[in-house]
Amino acid sequence: MSSTRKKLSLGLTSVLAVSLVLSACGSNNASKNTESGNAGGNGAPVELSWYTIGTPQKDVDKVMQEVSKYTKDKLGVTVKMTMIDWGDYNQKMQVLTASGASMDIMFTASWAFDYVQNARKGAFAPIDDLLDKYGQGIKQVLDPAFLEGSKVDGKNYGVPANKELPAQEVWRFNKNILDENKLSMDGVRSLESLEPLLKTIKQNDPNIIPLQVDKTFMPYTPYDYLIEKFPLAVKLDDKDYKVVNILETPEMKQGLETMHKYYAAGYLPTEAATLESSTDIQATGQWFADKATTQPFANNVWSTSYGYPVVSTPQSDALIYNLSVMGSMQAISANSKHKEKAMEFLNLLNTDPVLRNMVDSGIEGTHFKKIDATHMENLPESKNYDMPTFSLGNVLLTYLNPGDPDNKWEEFKKYNDAGKPAILLGFNFDPSKVSSEIAAVQNAKEAFWAPLMTGTVDPDQYLPKAIEKMKAAGLDKIMAEAQSQLDAWRAANNK
Amino acid sequence: MNAIRRYVKDLNRNKALLLMVLPASLWFICFSYLPMLGTIISFKEYRFNGNFLSSIINSKWVGLDNFKFLFKTDDAYIITRNTILYNSVFIFIGLVLAVAMAIVLSEIANKRLAKWFQTGMFMPYFLSWVIVSYFVYSFLSFDRGMVNKIAVAFGADPVQWYSEPKFWPLIIVIVFLWKSLGYNSVIYLAAILGIDKSLYEAAMIDGANKWQQIRNITLPMLAPLMTILTLLAIGRIFYADFGLFYQVTRDSGTLYSVTNVIDTYVYRGLKTTGEIGMSTAAGLYQSFVGFVLVITSNYVVRRFNKDNALF
Repeated sequence: MSSTRKKLSLGLTSVLAVSLVLSACGSNNASKNTESGNAGGNGAPVELSWYTIGTPQKDVDKVMQEVSKYTKDKLGVTVKMTMIDWGDYNQKMQVLTASGASMDIMFTASWAFDYVQNARKGAFAPIDDLLDKYGQGIKQVLDPAFLEGSKVDGKNYGVPANKELPAQEVWRFNKNILDENKLSMDGVRSLESLEPLLKTIKQNDPNIIPLQVDKTFMPYTPYDYLIEKFPLAVKLDDKDYKVVNILETPEMKQGLETMHKYYAAGYLPTEAATLESSTDIQATGQWFADKATTQPFANNVWSTSYGYPVVSTPQSDALIYNLSVMGSMQAISANSKHKEKAMEFLNLLNTDPVLRNMVDSGIEGTHFKKIDATHMENLPESKNYDMPTFSLGNVLLTYLNPGDPDNKWEEFKKYNDAGKPAILLGFNFDPSKVSSEIAAVQNAKEAFWAPLMTGTVDPDQYLPKAIEKMKAAGLDKIMAEAQSQLDAWRAANNK
Repeated sequence: MNAIRRYVKDLNRNKALLLMVLPASLWFICFSYLPMLGTIISFKEYRFNGNFLSSIINSKWVGLDNFKFLFKTDDAYIITRNTILYNSVFIFIGLVLAVAMAIVLSEIANKRLAKWFQTGMFMPYFLSWVIVSYFVYSFLSFDRGMVNKIAVAFGADPVQWYSEPKFWPLIIVIVFLWKSLGYNSVIYLAAILGIDKSLYEAAMIDGANKWQQIRNITLPMLAPLMTILTLLAIGRIFYADFGLFYQVTRDSGTLYSVTNVIDTYVYRGLKTTGEIGMSTAAGLYQSFVGFVLVITSNYVVRRFNKDNALF
């Protein structure tokens, strides 16, 4: 008797063990059974799970309850938002997607959870048909360049947020130092035209860094890059669409020579090639000039965040690049069971000021109060619901803060309308055929890139070395592949 | 039938022991053995398709293509050389210093002071490499670093540490030892404290001095542990410490000839394309070489002393 019981208990333990292993290792089957119940439409509302970037806020669930009340009436959906912190977003989304977790809407961009890469790998659902059926509002509010530029292999996979569209490089100046030295930024545009100003600063006050650069710096050249920070590019006005190695262009060579001259003259930080960011020097204000990307009222934003006045003057034209339309997007997961509802929700989010501001600023009366039709003011509770505005859809719908100029969003529209498309807008290089060459070239490139770009090393000596090393790693093969893809794209789009 | 009955009887007899190893076995099955099936990804071009399993099944076979990028250029030689040489130096010097330090610590008469030293040496082990990289930077920064300040005070020229490859093999070894020495010496210290005291007493009666005691009792008693830890370290000889070679060197391009190792090469190569298949391939290659090396060195150890071998 007792021995059978022992055997039984042993059997039970092993069954338990096996089931533990199974449940711990594969947990994504459970959710499958529930879908058929609520897909019907008129019955219970559909819950959309929405993954977005940003430091998780305490009141997210509370606000989403209010949002759900609103969307339940309008669309028959409720919303569950999951926020993932800035630094973790890439990796956690990779794992969630690779394991096939059930998600509906997710934030993606060129800089976080890479949009093009993941669209190609099949993480997102193509939304062209959905846009036509349920996303007419989106199509109306967005400048056509947004949807055109975010096409991957001819299809749209994400809804870009309506915000500043063209990208324009500017020289920024620390206005106090500019005034103290009686300098003017009139006539400054090219890298070379900065020289007299930098020279004066160096002479007058050796403690100030005349031109602040860090390892991400690149001199402006009139080229459009195929992949960000990868040396293949096409000249902006090249009617033949010829792919070139940016390091072999005369413009880049001149830029690098000037940078090296500045470096030797002591205008640049000594350790620029290994400097991760310029945040420290911006906090101390011990800098005179640097390079940045602008948008309307950018000077105000910079001045407020640094605590001292900053002015700027353009060094390039305002052009619409692929990168500038992919700065903030919402995609629908390929695994989503409610793609139509998700698109209806995105459509409302990008067109309805009530919903958009609720998602952005929280519950009216709790987190913010309205001053008039277009202005609002944060209440103390808003510290529990402080969201990154740009990552949550149409920015031009959000209420203005008390300090904002009344015409802020009109200026954005004007700025967007004035932007011209860059040469490669809408073309996205598919690296899958040459991925092992790209991996090798990346390593060759990284060894030289930052030292060259920051002027730390002499281009006469290192530029040929860099070019040779990248060639040996297979750059020519990538270039040929890129050229043939580009030619095919041109033919397909009548460029 | 008989065999099954004997098996069940065996299980029954050892059930207490078996239950004790159950949690650890489950852990290994879940986190080591099941993921091993994932090595199949290294022969595929991984694309998302529903859940994880169906993604693997539906991805395209590409044979050995994913491994090619590791051997593509003359960097293959540099990263292999750097990885193996640094790790060999770490293993050898690390072993000698850790054992020496453990013996010194065990011989300190003032136990309170010994604990104090031990804790002090142990602390760096818990720091992340990012923090260590800032410590190192505070020494080696060109215009604000301590080393250059001292050099200038003595009339020497300041050095651009982060663009001079020739110093870095030394710097990397020193930083690594500073961080890991405390941890390893504690392991040996624990082993020393476990040695039967009567051995030392007998030796003292025979008139052996401290040095003779160390050489003839402590070291032989530590030998099995030293062999096992070294064998385990050899198994990981193809894995470089990413933080050490990426963070501490501030990812400085001019230093790559002496700081590029397999892990940093893979990271730099794949950050644009993010091919899961290629990173899996690199991992499989590292494990495979480690596996071969462990088997070989274990075989060598067995030839000399069966008891010290791992298996």
